[in-house]
Amino acid sequence: MQIQDLPYPDPGVPDARSGPRFLWWLFRNQLGGQLKSLAWGLLHFLSVSALPFCVGVAVQAVVDRSGARLALAGGLLALCAAGNAIGDTFLHRTAVTNWITAAARVQQVLARKAAQLGSALTRRVAAGEVVAVSTGDVEKIGWFVEAWSRFTAAAVTIVVVCVGLVVYQPALGVVVAVGLPVLAVAVLPLLPRATRRADFQREKAGRATELASDTVAGLRVLRGIGGEELFLDRYRSASQEVRHAAVRSARMWSLISAIQVLLPGLLLIGVVWYGVQLAREGRVTVGELVAVYSSIMILTYPLRHFEEIAMAYSFSRPSARRAARVLSLERATDTDGSRDGSEVPSGDLYDPATGLLAPTGRLTAVVCGDPDTAGRLAERLGGHASEEGTPVLLGGVPLDELPLDSARTAVLVQDKDPVLLSGTLRELFDVPRSGDVGAEEALAAAQCADVLAALVQGSLGAEDPMDARITERGRSLSGGQRQRLALARSLITDPEVLVLDEPTSAVDSHTEARIAEGMRNLRAGRTTVVFTSSPLLLDRADRVVLVHEGEVAAVGVHRELVHAEPRYRAVVTRETEEEAALNGALGKEASQSSLKDVLKELEEIEESA
Amino acid sequence: MIGVAPPAYDPAAPTTANTLPVGAPATVRAYVVELFRRHRRAFLLLVSVNTVAVVASMAGPWLLGGLVERVSAGVAERELHLELTVGLFVAALVVQAGFVRQVRLRGAMLGERMLADLREDFLVRSVGLPPGVLERAGTGDLLSRITTDIDRLANAMREAVPQLAIGVVWVVLLLGGLVVTAPPLAAAVLLTMPLLVIGCRWYFKRAPSAYRSEAAGYAAVAAALAETVDAGRTIEAHRLGERRVELSERRIKEWTAWERYTLWLRSVLFPFINVTHVMILGSVLMVGGVFVLQGWIGIGQLTTGALIAQMLVDPVGLILRWYDELQVAQVSLARLVGVRDIEPEAGDALLSPEGRDVHADRVHFGYLEGVDVLRQVSLEVAPGTRLALVGPSGAGKSTLGRLLAGIYAPRDGRITLGGAELSRMTAEQVRSHVALVNQEHHVFVGTLRDNLLLARTDATDTELWAALGAVDADEWARALDDGLDTEVGSGGFSLTPAQAQQIALARLVLADPHTLVLDEATSLLDPRAARHLERSLARVLDGRTVVAIAHRLHTAHDADIIAVVENGRITELGSHDDLVSADGAYAALWRSWHG
Repeated sequence: MQIQDLPYPDPGVPDARSGPRFLWWLFRNQLGGQLKSLAWGLLHFLSVSALPFCVGVAVQAVVDRSGARLALAGGLLALCAAGNAIGDTFLHRTAVTNWITAAARVQQVLARKAAQLGSALTRRVAAGEVVAVSTGDVEKIGWFVEAWSRFTAAAVTIVVVCVGLVVYQPALGVVVAVGLPVLAVAVLPLLPRATRRADFQREKAGRATELASDTVAGLRVLRGIGGEELFLDRYRSASQEVRHAAVRSARMWSLISAIQVLLPGLLLIGVVWYGVQLAREGRVTVGELVAVYSSIMILTYPLRHFEEIAMAYSFSRPSARRAARVLSLERATDTDGSRDGSEVPSGDLYDPATGLLAPTGRLTAVVCGDPDTAGRLAERLGGHASEEGTPVLLGGVPLDELPLDSARTAVLVQDKDPVLLSGTLRELFDVPRSGDVGAEEALAAAQCADVLAALVQGSLGAEDPMDARITERGRSLSGGQRQRLALARSLITDPEVLVLDEPTSAVDSHTEARIAEGMRNLRAGRTTVVFTSSPLLLDRADRVVLVHEGEVAAVGVHRELVHAEPRYRAVVTRETEEEAALNGALGKEASQSSLKDVLKELEEIEESA
Repeated sequence: MIGVAPPAYDPAAPTTANTLPVGAPATVRAYVVELFRRHRRAFLLLVSVNTVAVVASMAGPWLLGGLVERVSAGVAERELHLELTVGLFVAALVVQAGFVRQVRLRGAMLGERMLADLREDFLVRSVGLPPGVLERAGTGDLLSRITTDIDRLANAMREAVPQLAIGVVWVVLLLGGLVVTAPPLAAAVLLTMPLLVIGCRWYFKRAPSAYRSEAAGYAAVAAALAETVDAGRTIEAHRLGERRVELSERRIKEWTAWERYTLWLRSVLFPFINVTHVMILGSVLMVGGVFVLQGWIGIGQLTTGALIAQMLVDPVGLILRWYDELQVAQVSLARLVGVRDIEPEAGDALLSPEGRDVHADRVHFGYLEGVDVLRQVSLEVAPGTRLALVGPSGAGKSTLGRLLAGIYAPRDGRITLGGAELSRMTAEQVRSHVALVNQEHHVFVGTLRDNLLLARTDATDTELWAALGAVDADEWARALDDGLDTEVGSGGFSLTPAQAQQIALARLVLADPHTLVLDEATSLLDPRAARHLERSLARVLDGRTVVAIAHRLHTAHDADIIAVVENGRITELGSHDDLVSADGAYAALWRSWHG
């Protein structure tokens, strides 16, 4: 796999039975890349390890006063230089490619898993885990998978060099061959503690960053009411904790560095001491002694790979376990459905559990005293709800028996907290849709003119509002602006049945009145269900249903219910029940003014202003 | 054609306008100088221990060179001084190991101290920003600076600065060692430098911005997935699953395109470095070898020189490794110190109001030059009155509220509190009299106590409970396992929006300002929760002057005066009954609302 061919057309089905199996699956899928990396690694490490030999030849040539042999040493050096440069460059290229392809593959299977789980992911624990795998674990997993071939190349090189030294200069070679393995494993026992301290430091740093960003996020509150010093002190102490943890971690790493200097140094001294005696006895030449010395200096480089692989493994193990856990998540319910979903049903929407009926082609408003009940009911109206229950029928067809995708096509439920996905406005509105409703119509119906202006102002170089960017979750917009954009998006979709849960709760009354009118016109002839307690919306509904304690308690139109039904009046006008009863008894007169008049008057005012 | 062109799409290109300034080069330089001055001693200490470590590390090659010289000259056993040499060797090694440890440790201490200074400085500056700047700029830009930019700087401060200092000292000392051993050998090393310089110049011209784009591309991959997860319900409802997978794959493509480009940059740089390394050794051996053969230098000098030349690999690698990190850090540093360029508010600390009446006199205000959002607005709010501002979105209600809360200063006209001009008072002075309550009921990460104490830092627990009681929050607060010590905010005990709002109200009880500006304070809540909260709110409002930006008409109904704001002007002003009988826009809306 080449980097330019990413992403994979099909990332495959991961073996997510356990962490190690997942790592093995990734490794197995890039075996070719691993072998390439191993081959280049061998060229690189062997070329580097041959340098001391050249040094030895050169020094001995000078000792022997041979210009020709000195030139030979120069030639050998040039060869090593070429092998080293080519080997290192291509080792790096293949290793990085292995890392990137592994990381991309994990990101791809994660994206597929997340899309497949959909609403089942909103359980917070699972959601956090997916994000954690994507942001931190992927790198560690990729690192270990990639490091394997580099490590193997280094290990093979060390063995080859040891054997070579034993053959080249048996007496000194044996000393080196015995000493090197000790060097390789000497610091390994310290690594777990060092990595634990590093983890602890990272945790502290994460906490400090969290405090800082939390303080900044609430800065307007702080500046408005006070307490800056309190939060600064808190942050300063968190920041100092990070510093202490980092220094503590550095103590351990500095100890490891010292050992990495000390042990090879001792081996060098041993070699010098023994080697000089051998040299005096004439059993080794001066050149050979220098070569062995230089060898030990150079070999500390491939030796570092023992530490790296140990660390990569200890870091990647928990990461791989978490990735496997996330990738093995499944939806609790069957999404295939038992019916053929090619034809989307139409007709009345009926919920047998509550008795709620939304006649086809009409605007039904549902008033429900308890917001949680309303949320659950709205979710149920779309079918395939998270909780099992009597299925909702659309034109007599149980929605749960349709495939998930067909049910969602037939009924769009916009929940209380619809998320605006980041990107341009055009991208936001690029949703599967009927094609009968244009973006402009929907934006006009949802009264989005000021939202568009605000978006254009906040974006760089966007003159067409459709190119204006929405930041993550639409955070740069106010609550009311977000609601109106979400509503516009749902209107564009133009589904057979549209269910809206409190779509305008954060919108001011003036605007809400216009939205009620716009939405009604746009959805004329289509089935719409709105959960709301706003009289401005209720007044525009064909049919108003009061759901009380899980059952339909009253059906009618707003103007009737507001006088005849005290429970309705209590929810809608926010009076206490006693007040409502009193008003009902007095039979307060209904106003004859309709919303049309209000709108007309508002327009007149605007024109005159 | 060989080579990879930089990808056309740059994920690091800004998409949102920079709402806060970025530091000018002069500001950045001044800050760096100040930072170094502050840590001068730690810096000198690092350089000193590093010097000792490097000098000690040269003892080995030097001693071996001497031995080689003597062995090849065939001197007598006694004159070889093998024991003495080995003893010196061990001593030098112990010193080297000890000082290497110190170098690593001192480097980390210096880096961590600078980093801590930097992040604390930044937060100190941020919390001192004028409320008007925050209100206008939003906190998004600030947030990305304190997370992304601090992160990028962390590596630079923690590693790059100390490691570069170490690397430079190391190279200089090794070259010095070569000069002392045999000056021609040092010259031989310098011969190879042009090659390295050429490679590095090419690379460092392209690398920093490419790495920035690569990092941004990688972050975008994770961000796309995080959004898919966060918006699970919306995505399922709108059947966007496939599109999200496509988006993730597009992000992967964009990211890997940059990975491929930076890989190409390194593919060019690496051969230069590798060849240079071997050439250093080679030229020392060849030049030195010829010199020995000519009898100009000794064999021992050559051995020492070759081994020192071999040691140069490490510091050169160190410098190359961290140099581009420093370049990347520069950009982040400019963004961090940019906050220093914002003028702190010049308030008159001595100015304090006499009385509580709020008065707006022919106020004009606009966010942009030449575009007034408010025109000719005059208002009088007597102490203890409730004023409701109603009107369509974008009419200027919220802006007027912010002017009355002293967050913005009028372009023309005056807003006074008790006769003193609000815009000339300090933010601290203003907020002891007026508070703005908006939809943003942020719960800070920390204990419930911290969340309340910010309003009055010296409050006792009894006072805190009383404040919670005043807003009907004591019942659930007492039910918490750790009471006031319960950790709340993100990651802690999760409060409902209504509870969060109650915390915000309890803060007001503690801060006790006599005038409140309420901006859609309860609008994001469920109507049922809002109703309950309004009772809490009513308790808090009791006896205070209130300016309420009303979303819902019943809020307006309860007010003493209602101002209808349309197109930046007050078009209707009067009590509910006045306005209903005037039969204007308000009356029409009211009728439809109330049925």
